[in-house]
Amino acid sequence: MILTLKNTFAEIGNATVFAKQFFKEVFVPPYETKEFLKQCYVIGYKSLPLVAITGFIMGLVLTLQSRPTLVKFGAESWLPGMVALSLIREIAPVITALICAGKISSGIGAELGSMKVTEQIDAMEVSAINPYNYLVVTRILACTLMVPILVFFADAVGIIGGYVGINIHGDVNFYRYLTQILQSLEFLDIIPATVKTFFFGFFIGMIGCYKGFNASNGTESVGKAANSAVVTASLTIFIIDMVAVQITDLFF
Amino acid sequence: MIKEKENTEPAKKSKKQDPIIVIKDLHKTFGKDNKVLQGVSLTVNKGEDLVILGRSGSGKSVTIKCIVGLIEPDKGEIKVFDENVLNLSKPELNVIRVRIGFLFQSGALYDSMSVRENLAFTLKKHKRDLTPEEVESEVMEALDNVGLSDAIDKMPSELSGGMQKRIGLARTLILKPEIILYDEPTTGLDTITSREISELILDIKHKRKTTSIIITHDMACAKLTADRIMVLKDGVIHAEGTYEELEKDEDEWVRSFFQ
Amino acid sequence: MDKQSGYTWKLGMFVTIGLLLFIMAIYFIGKQKNLFGSTFNITSQFKTVSGLEVGNNVRFSGINIGTVEEIQLINDSSVVVRMVIKDEVREFIKTDARASIGSDGLMGDKVLTISPGVKSTKVIENGGAIASVNGIEMQDLMKSVKKSVDNAAVITDELAIFSHSMNTGNGALARLVRDDKMANSVSNTLSNLESGTKGFSENMEAAKSNFLLKGYFKKKEKEKEKKKEELKEQKEEQQEKAEKAKEEKAKAEKEKAEKAKEEKEKLEKQKAEDAKKAQSEKGK
Repeated sequence: MILTLKNTFAEIGNATVFAKQFFKEVFVPPYETKEFLKQCYVIGYKSLPLVAITGFIMGLVLTLQSRPTLVKFGAESWLPGMVALSLIREIAPVITALICAGKISSGIGAELGSMKVTEQIDAMEVSAINPYNYLVVTRILACTLMVPILVFFADAVGIIGGYVGINIHGDVNFYRYLTQILQSLEFLDIIPATVKTFFFGFFIGMIGCYKGFNASNGTESVGKAANSAVVTASLTIFIIDMVAVQITDLFF
Repeated sequence: MIKEKENTEPAKKSKKQDPIIVIKDLHKTFGKDNKVLQGVSLTVNKGEDLVILGRSGSGKSVTIKCIVGLIEPDKGEIKVFDENVLNLSKPELNVIRVRIGFLFQSGALYDSMSVRENLAFTLKKHKRDLTPEEVESEVMEALDNVGLSDAIDKMPSELSGGMQKRIGLARTLILKPEIILYDEPTTGLDTITSREISELILDIKHKRKTTSIIITHDMACAKLTADRIMVLKDGVIHAEGTYEELEKDEDEWVRSFFQ
Repeated sequence: MDKQSGYTWKLGMFVTIGLLLFIMAIYFIGKQKNLFGSTFNITSQFKTVSGLEVGNNVRFSGINIGTVEEIQLINDSSVVVRMVIKDEVREFIKTDARASIGSDGLMGDKVLTISPGVKSTKVIENGGAIASVNGIEMQDLMKSVKKSVDNAAVITDELAIFSHSMNTGNGALARLVRDDKMANSVSNTLSNLESGTKGFSENMEAAKSNFLLKGYFKKKEKEKEKKKEELKEQKEEQQEKAEKAKEEKAKAEKEKAEKAKEEKEKLEKQKAEDAKKAQSEKGK
């Protein structure tokens, strides 16, 4: 029991050191621009279809599920505003982050894990290429910047999904629908939610890299690294979300 | 006692011969009581091919990984080009690392890149002012050296084990290192391919005048490439000499390698 | 190189569209809150803002034209509300426009409504102030209602006492209303009285013809006639006077009417000219 606890703390400590190294190296040349762009492409563009489909379904389902309750109170006209609010404030960021944890975090964990196991990372090290700079910094940075953009897409597609959901039962003009949404939105709904997604992105990338980079030698550990990256990243997303909502609640 | 004598005598001799790598009393323990190195001392002279023999887990790989700073020893001293590797800062260490080539057991090609990119990547990281044409010609030259210039656009997963090692060697050579460390270059290959690799090592030695440490337990390879052989046992240098000397060594354990 | 450009354009498109979505959201929400585009400020002073909040809509002719920007208490009985209004509606808001606070919808969101004035043709300045109409506060309404309710209570109380005494009291009126006997006796009394007075007048006639009293009655008659004559004369004089006065009055009225007509014509002319001027200025 105590040993497990101690190991957990040791893990957190190591991860913190790992993250600290990111901030130390991110501003120091050489900048791996090409690799960074490639990772942005892999993390951002390649995840888009998955995120878009999930976002659409979330918007649609949320609309259909909330409708009966609102109809009971005779507040059906609030449906667009309510769906948009819950999408933008909470659902789109968290769902997108969880999907990215599943897709990106595990991908990075497996990729770096196998590179570690097959000595590719050592090979970089001995040819005087900083593997941290080349592999880790680019991936964490790409994650941190791409996840918020994916969330914007999820927001937009989710709102379209909500529109489809509303039109199943009634007939609402799209322009009117958008106006209703914009009327119910404020900066306070968008800004904290967006800031939150940067943290999501950072931790998704950081945990994936940390788990992969610290895979022990052996093929089995690659799978372990990928798996524990997903689990840890998902858990971390919920923790960050809770903290973020409380902070938002406190100040605004 | 005899072994110690043998150990120190060539060291004295080699000092006159311009030593390039000097290791003194290297200790390394993994975990709590997995004592891998217990006082390894060795010297490599310029232009010499040193073969380190030993059974699996005897600490051969750990020794050469210590030389390039991949593993930090618990105790001891490593001098490469008269610089103490263990006391260097990261940028200083990287200067030394560029002058040392390291061929990994598996070849360690970056599997997300093609052969061309593998070679060009390493080159471009160190010589940023090269034009694409210069990079291309250097890559071709390195591949010519290992006789695989037609594999330039293949991915590492499409290559056989022997080819991967040769590409790995080409990637090591592209930076024109003065020292090359081979980590089991022939392991997992058939006899003919092993022979090809061994000849390649010899060829490089003659062409580029490099100094090498070769870790192996393949006697054919050792016979072909070795100027001098050291046998590692229980974390210390157990025997040392030329191939012919050790073949007739009085220690049965040493002789068992040559059978 | 080809391989690189193969993905960079996709990445570029991805990032551009993503950021565009974000910027659009920010822009449209900002527009909703009048953060962008040209606006101007006006203020209005209220006694009470009835729960109006910063960010509530400002309406003019039922259209949302701006938002409440600031609500400031300046002393114990007045609140200054500053609102931000789109520049494009500025020409319709004149200096005599009035602001009032009302409720919007079922949930009771407050809105500030600007009603157009009647007379002024001057467009409001940036930072200008407009008058406010203090909305009928529920409390005031209740007060006046209470007063009339109180009065009604007093009236009904008294009415009740009155009808009660009518029904049960022994007063004359009450008995008159209730008691048949009493009613009969009253009517009997009245008929008796009638016949009584008849007899009396007959007696008087008889007395006139009596010689003892003849002189007295003659004297009385003479006086009566004299008085009649005097009255006649007075009446004639009064009539003459009245006729004269009537004539004079009519004359004066005629003159007055003519003057008024002239003035009216003048005024109308001026008004038309003013309107023309205003139009030409507007055109400019």
